[in-house]
Amino acid sequence: MDLSKYRTLFVEEATEHLSEMSRALLALEKEPADAEAIDLIFRMAHGIKGMAASLEYASVTTVAHTLEDRMAVIRERGFAAAGGEMALLFRGLETLEALVACARETGDAPPEEHPQALAFCAASRDLAAEPEPAPEAPKKKALSP
Amino acid sequence: MARILVADDASFMRQMIREIIEAEGHEVCGEASDGIEAVEQWKELGPDLCTMDIVMPRRSGIDAVRGIMELDPAACIVMCSALGQETLVNEALQAGAKDFIVKPFKPTSVVETLNRVLEKSD
Repeated sequence: MDLSKYRTLFVEEATEHLSEMSRALLALEKEPADAEAIDLIFRMAHGIKGMAASLEYASVTTVAHTLEDRMAVIRERGFAAAGGEMALLFRGLETLEALVACARETGDAPPEEHPQALAFCAASRDLAAEPEPAPEAPKKKALSP
Repeated sequence: MARILVADDASFMRQMIREIIEAEGHEVCGEASDGIEAVEQWKELGPDLCTMDIVMPRRSGIDAVRGIMELDPAACIVMCSALGQETLVNEALQAGAKDFIVKPFKPTSVVETLNRVLEKSD
């Protein structure tokens, strides 16, 4: 199979995925239990992982997989924790943007040992070692006048 | 030659699986980019087989399997899964999917699985 056309397709489709992911992350930052945003970020990370794995783009696959795993934890819990967890998600987005930019510029696989990718995965492992955040208290609705 | 419907939300994946299917001499009779489209296309096109991604917007691949099985209990559906989705694959098989292929796709493995499912359905 000639993979050259798939390299172009990857850059196009991953760029679209990352734009959607960026919008969903901003929505999630405002509303940490936004189920639609959580689902969308999960799907975008999953989609990028699948495409990258098909092209043997190891660093992209690993970062997208790490982000997907974190989103699975968030989905199970029902909300994203403010602070470290939200910062990690934005860092994951930035890392994927850097890797896709690298693929766009070189037309080839981003380096396997990309420093930003390694740092993101290390930060994700550090966060996973921390205790799970306490469940959020239900938000009080404002009383109607 | 079989008529095959390809359901995946990523155009990249649809093209890749189309290339594998057409190289084997089968016809891709339709494409769907989410679970709702997959059920609608099955109804409209009546394909011999459908490759179904698990993670899709609007209606998941597993839910789309349930929808298709209600319409056609003999439907041949092959799930497209990724590593780590074993639980979801089992759920899809219980819902009526006949088999599964794993991403990243290995053309020989995809072809073997699709042909095996098609032969069994004859």
